[in-house]
Amino acid sequence: MSNSVLSVISRFLEEYSTTTSTKLKVVDAYLLYILLTGALQFLYCLLVGTFPFNSFLSGFISCVGSFILAVCLRIQINPQNKGDFLSISPERAFADFLFANTVLHLVVMNFIG
Amino acid sequence: MNRSQLLGLLVLSLAPAGAQALTPSHYLSLSDVSRLQNLLSQPFTDLQSAYYSVVGLSKLGGIVPDHQEVCQFLKSQLDPSSVDSLFFAAETSQAISGCEIPVSNETRDILLAAVSEDSSMTQIHRAVGALSSLGLPLASQEVVGALAARINKEDNVMAIILALQTASRLSQQAELGRILEEIEDLTARLDDLGGIYLQFEEGLEATALFVAAAYALSDHVDVEPPLKEDQVIQLVNSIFSKKSWDSLAEAFSVASAAAALSNNRFHVPVIVSAQGPATVSHNQPTLQLLVTDVMSQPLTSASVLVESAFAVATKSAILSQTPFTLNDGVFELNFMSSQPASGYYQFTVAVTGDSRLVASHVELKVKVSTEVSVSNMDLSVVDKDQSIGTKTTRVDYPSKAKSPFTADSHQNFAMSFQLVDVNTGQELTPHQTFVRLHNQKTGQEVVFVAEPDSKNLYKFELDAAERKSEFDSMSGTYSLYLIVGDATLENPILWNVADVVLKFVEEEAPAAVQPKTLYVPKPEIQHLFREPEKKPPTVVSNTFTALVLSPFLLLLILWFKLGANISSFSFSPSTILFHVGHAAMLGLMYVYWTHLNMFQTLKYLAIIGGVTFLAGNRMLAQKAVKRMEKK
Repeated sequence: MSNSVLSVISRFLEEYSTTTSTKLKVVDAYLLYILLTGALQFLYCLLVGTFPFNSFLSGFISCVGSFILAVCLRIQINPQNKGDFLSISPERAFADFLFANTVLHLVVMNFIG
Repeated sequence: MNRSQLLGLLVLSLAPAGAQALTPSHYLSLSDVSRLQNLLSQPFTDLQSAYYSVVGLSKLGGIVPDHQEVCQFLKSQLDPSSVDSLFFAAETSQAISGCEIPVSNETRDILLAAVSEDSSMTQIHRAVGALSSLGLPLASQEVVGALAARINKEDNVMAIILALQTASRLSQQAELGRILEEIEDLTARLDDLGGIYLQFEEGLEATALFVAAAYALSDHVDVEPPLKEDQVIQLVNSIFSKKSWDSLAEAFSVASAAAALSNNRFHVPVIVSAQGPATVSHNQPTLQLLVTDVMSQPLTSASVLVESAFAVATKSAILSQTPFTLNDGVFELNFMSSQPASGYYQFTVAVTGDSRLVASHVELKVKVSTEVSVSNMDLSVVDKDQSIGTKTTRVDYPSKAKSPFTADSHQNFAMSFQLVDVNTGQELTPHQTFVRLHNQKTGQEVVFVAEPDSKNLYKFELDAAERKSEFDSMSGTYSLYLIVGDATLENPILWNVADVVLKFVEEEAPAAVQPKTLYVPKPEIQHLFREPEKKPPTVVSNTFTALVLSPFLLLLILWFKLGANISSFSFSPSTILFHVGHAAMLGLMYVYWTHLNMFQTLKYLAIIGGVTFLAGNRMLAQKAVKRMEKK
């Protein structure tokens, strides 16, 4: 059982490193970073308590929001999805990503307290 | 509508108006009159005060002391060239006996010259008054002309009142009709307050002087003044409602009005009041009424009778057209001879004998009081299942039952009695018939009401088991009191009838009876402020801060490994501007966290963001072009 899981994972990683372009890998690294940050915040909250609850929420939602926006960026700049996003160039996607992040972080900064 | 219908309507409308005639609510009692006289008797220092004091006092029927001294004062203070001085001196000299003011031709000329259209109304009034009191001749028709002209020029209330006063000093042959009409005009200017008061907005003095002047002129020409009965009573209320007067002039005006209203040819308001409380009883069988004028002078020529009297409770008539007898200035009626039952009676009293009397029908509420006695007071202890016969003890007022009664939860304590009018022997149902049980040890008391049955026999039953909550289940000896009271009883009763020992089941631990602790300071409330939440130790939070920031390191490593670089960084102005702007926005976020509020941040963000957007747009466009070229 574990054998097959391991083999699936190693196959997946191999295929990933070969087929994905560098640009996408950069974004994936960013996604991983955001994920880890959010998970660590959640861990702190579980262990120590929710004392400045608004701060926890703002931090966590910042991670979640950034993750979602980055995923959107990744989808939009992936050349394999070009057919779905004919009117949106990668530059446009990046600009949208920056704008949305600005709004998100404005709200996060407001809430962080 | 034909004439008979109209007449019927008129009669119908008049009937209720007659039933609700106004009666005076204010007048000068004897103490008020003496207070007024005291005010007017104060020593005077000038001619005007002398005039007010002496003439005012004489109008009230008071005695002016030391006429000679007054006369000397008048002569010494007189200024023969002043119309005012002559007026005050002349009028005052008329009020005291044996005083003659010397008159010269110059004096007469000055006075006559003052009577003209060009003098003020006050001047004309004083000149005519002086001429009249000094016995000098004057041309009445000329005066009337001057008055008429002045009324047109000085249209205020005081001036017209002075005109009325002046006209009353003129010859009866003169044509005073024009001046007489002014009374009606002035009446229309009076303010009606609540249907009770009628007065000028200029105040008490004007109203009082108006009454005096109107009646003086009406008497002089023998024409009834156009004042309705209700209006006269309202004027009486206004003038005599003030019982302390600010100035001599005000006191003088009230005295003049009082004199005018008690002695004129047309309207004399009558005051009917009971001497003492309007109560009759067997000890005091006569109802005594004082019938006076507004100055509390008795109207002995009048005759008083009761038009009708009926009991308020039953509305049955008891008297009709019964006269009062005059006894030493007081009108008396022996009401008890009609043997009224105790209670309240509504009397309608009519005063007749003089056609001038105003408000001669008065409604009076008379109380008939009596004495009560308790009879047939029977006390007994009855078993609930009524298997054992009752033993009744009779107690006579005011003694107490010799042995105490005992009642526990199986028994009822019962009491029955009758309340009887001592004088007539009839049964009474007073307002208050209470049974009070007072615990001698703890001070507790419980009060019950005894109710009469259909035969007016009072019964009271105490069920110990049922009522234990009112007694707090406190067993012990209770003193039983009977309380009887009513407004028409002269001898209210508080009678300790017996002692009752009550035994309750389930007696709680006898707690000392707490008097109601409503007004004792309450226990203090300690306010607990919100405790600040517990913070985790600094070590823990610092560790986690480092931990949370560590993925950033991982990100940089990964990016390095992937070969992400900034080699294609073009140093065009838009690129630089974009990056600077972006960095500025991030800096703004930090500053927002530490210093600013949302509005300021949005302001800066708009500026920086705008610049960044434009630069970024340019930069990305260039990038796109480059990408297209590469393809």
